[in-house]
Amino acid sequence: MRAALLAEEPLVRWDWVRDHQDEIVTRFWQHVTLTVVAVGIGFVLAMAMALVSVRWRRAYPAFTGVSGVLYAIPSLALFGILIPFYGLGFRTAEVALVSYTLLILLRNIVAGIDGVPEAVREAADGMGYEGWRRLVSVDLPLALPTIVAGLRIATVTTVGLVTIAALVSAGGLGTFIDDGLGRDFPTPIVVGAVLSVLLAITFDLFFVGVEWLLTPWARAGRRQARGRAS
Amino acid sequence: MPDATTVTDVAASPVNADAGEGAIRLERLTKRYPGSARPAVDALDLAVPSGELVALVGPSGCGKTTTLKMINRLVEPTEGTVWLGGIDIRTLPVHELRRGIGYVIQQAGLFPHRTVRDNIATVPRLTGWRKERIRDRVGELAGLLDLDPDLLDRYPSALSGGQQQRVGVARALAADPPVLLMDEPYSAVDPIVRARLQDELLDLQRRLHKTIVLVTHDIDEAIKLADRIAILRVGGLLEQYGPPEELLRAPATPFVADFLGDDRGIKRLSLMRVAQAALTAGPVVGPDAAADEARRVMDANDTDWVAVVEDGRLRGWVGAAAVDGAATLAGLEPEPFAAAVGTDTTLKAALDAIVTSRTRVAVVVDDDQRYLGVLTLDDLAEGVTK
Repeated sequence: MRAALLAEEPLVRWDWVRDHQDEIVTRFWQHVTLTVVAVGIGFVLAMAMALVSVRWRRAYPAFTGVSGVLYAIPSLALFGILIPFYGLGFRTAEVALVSYTLLILLRNIVAGIDGVPEAVREAADGMGYEGWRRLVSVDLPLALPTIVAGLRIATVTTVGLVTIAALVSAGGLGTFIDDGLGRDFPTPIVVGAVLSVLLAITFDLFFVGVEWLLTPWARAGRRQARGRAS
Repeated sequence: MPDATTVTDVAASPVNADAGEGAIRLERLTKRYPGSARPAVDALDLAVPSGELVALVGPSGCGKTTTLKMINRLVEPTEGTVWLGGIDIRTLPVHELRRGIGYVIQQAGLFPHRTVRDNIATVPRLTGWRKERIRDRVGELAGLLDLDPDLLDRYPSALSGGQQQRVGVARALAADPPVLLMDEPYSAVDPIVRARLQDELLDLQRRLHKTIVLVTHDIDEAIKLADRIAILRVGGLLEQYGPPEELLRAPATPFVADFLGDDRGIKRLSLMRVAQAALTAGPVVGPDAAADEARRVMDANDTDWVAVVEDGRLRGWVGAAAVDGAATLAGLEPEPFAAAVGTDTTLKAALDAIVTSRTRVAVVVDDDQRYLGVLTLDDLAEGVTK
C-alpha cells in the first residue's frame, strides 16, 4: 500500500521546491558547514597523530588502532552513544563525523610521508635541513598528492554521513530525507539526495583543483612520461 | 713569544700537521651497530690532504658508505674522531657542518618538487643568502657544469640521468664548500654517460681543488679519478692506502691484488703517459731517400717498413715490397699511419694502437705533428716493470 502511494506521487513536486527555497538554501549551507568543520578538525587531529607517528613509529599502530575502532562503530550507534554526553545537535554530530575522518586521513598522511624517496630524504639531511624544516619544505610537499587523495575520500564520505546527522537534529540536507521518509513524500528525499551528491562532487572537484595548483612538478612529470611513451 | 705559542699549539694539536681548510683526518673511527657482532668500521685511521680526491673502495659491506656518512654525521661514530680542517666535527652544530660540506649521492637525490634552479639554490637558501647573490651563483654553476640555462626552470623529472647528476654536483657546490662527499655518484648512469661525467669531474677538480671523498665499488673509476685510493675489507679494515700507481705497482696484500684484478699491468698503463716512456728512434728516412738506404734502415731496425719524415713532420710509411720496385722513395706515396699517438696519450691507448696497427708500433708525434719516435711493445713492458 505504501509502495502504491509512492508510485502515484510524482518524483519531484516543483511547487514544494519553490515554497521551500529558503529552507533548502539554509539546509545546504548547514550541510557544507558540518562537512567542512568535521574534515577540518579531523585533518588537524590526523596531521598531529601522523607527525607523532613519523617521529615515534611505535605510536602509529596505537593511533590506527583507536581510529580503526572508531571507524568501525556503526554511525547510528555512535550518535546514540554520544547523545548522553553532548545532547542533540551540532556537537554530537561533529564528534561522530570527525571520528570517521581520522583513520582515512591518518593513513594517507603517513603513507604520503613514507613515500618520499629515501635518496631525497638523505639528500635533504645531508644538505643541512633541520628536522622541522625538512618536513615543511620536502616531506609534506612530496606527500601532498597522497594527502589530498585522503582528503577527497574523507570529504565525500563525510558529505554522505552528514545526511544521517539529521537524526540528532544537526540540520543539513538529511533533514529533508528524514522528513520525506516519515511522510512517504518523495520530493524532499530527492532534493536532499541530489543536492548531497552534487555537494560531494563539488568538494571532490575542488580538491582535484587544489592538487593541480599545488603540484606543478607532478604535471611536468606526467607530460614527460607521455612524451617518452609516444 | 709568538714563536713559543706556535710551537705549543702544534705540539698540543697534532691535526695542525694536516693543515688546509678542507683537510680531513679520521682518527680510530669506529661504528658498531647494535645487534651485529663485528663493527661496520673498525678503528679506521685515514688522512685526506686538502685539495685531493680520495676514493674509498671495497666490496659491499666494507663500510665505505658508513665511513663517508660519518664525515657529515649522517651516521654518528661509536668511537673515534673526524677532524675537518683541524676541528673536531662534533664541536660544530650538525646543520652548520653539513651546510659546509657538499654532498652528492647516487641517482642525484634531487628534490622532484623543485625546479633545477631551486635545487641548486638549496644550501644558499638554507644559509640565508640574498636573492641576487643566489641567482648569480646559480648562473655561474650552470656555466661551470655546462648546464643549458633552459634547463634551470624545468623539474628534475624532465632531465636525463646524466643531467640530473650534473645538477646534483652543482647543488653540492652551490655554497662553495671546501669539501665534497660523493656516494657512488655514477653507479646509476650508463657507461658512456658515466665516462663523460668522470671526465667532467676531473676537469672540475683541476679548476676547483676541492677535498673530495668518493665512495665507489668500481676500482676502474677509483683509478681514473683518485689521487689516492683507500681499499677497505669487510668490517671497515684498511688494507692499503696510496696513489693508484703505487697500489697497482705494489699491492700490499693478496686481497688488494685480487681486488685490483688480474690486469694490474694494463691498468697501470692507463695511468702512465707516452711522455713518460722511453721512445725508440724507429726506422726513419727522408722523402727522397734511395731504396738502398731504406732497405739498410729496415734491416738495422728489423722491420719491413720505414717511416717517411720530411722536415721533422711524419708523412707516413712505405713497405719493403714497394721499396723493392723503386730506385728512390721520391716517387712513392707513403701510406698514412692508422694511429699516431700524442705525448699526452695514456700508455694503455698506445698499447691499443700497437696491437691494432699493421706495423706493430705506435708512432709518437707532438702537438704540431712532428715525429718524435715510435713506441714498441718492448718499450711498454720496460715502462711497466721498471
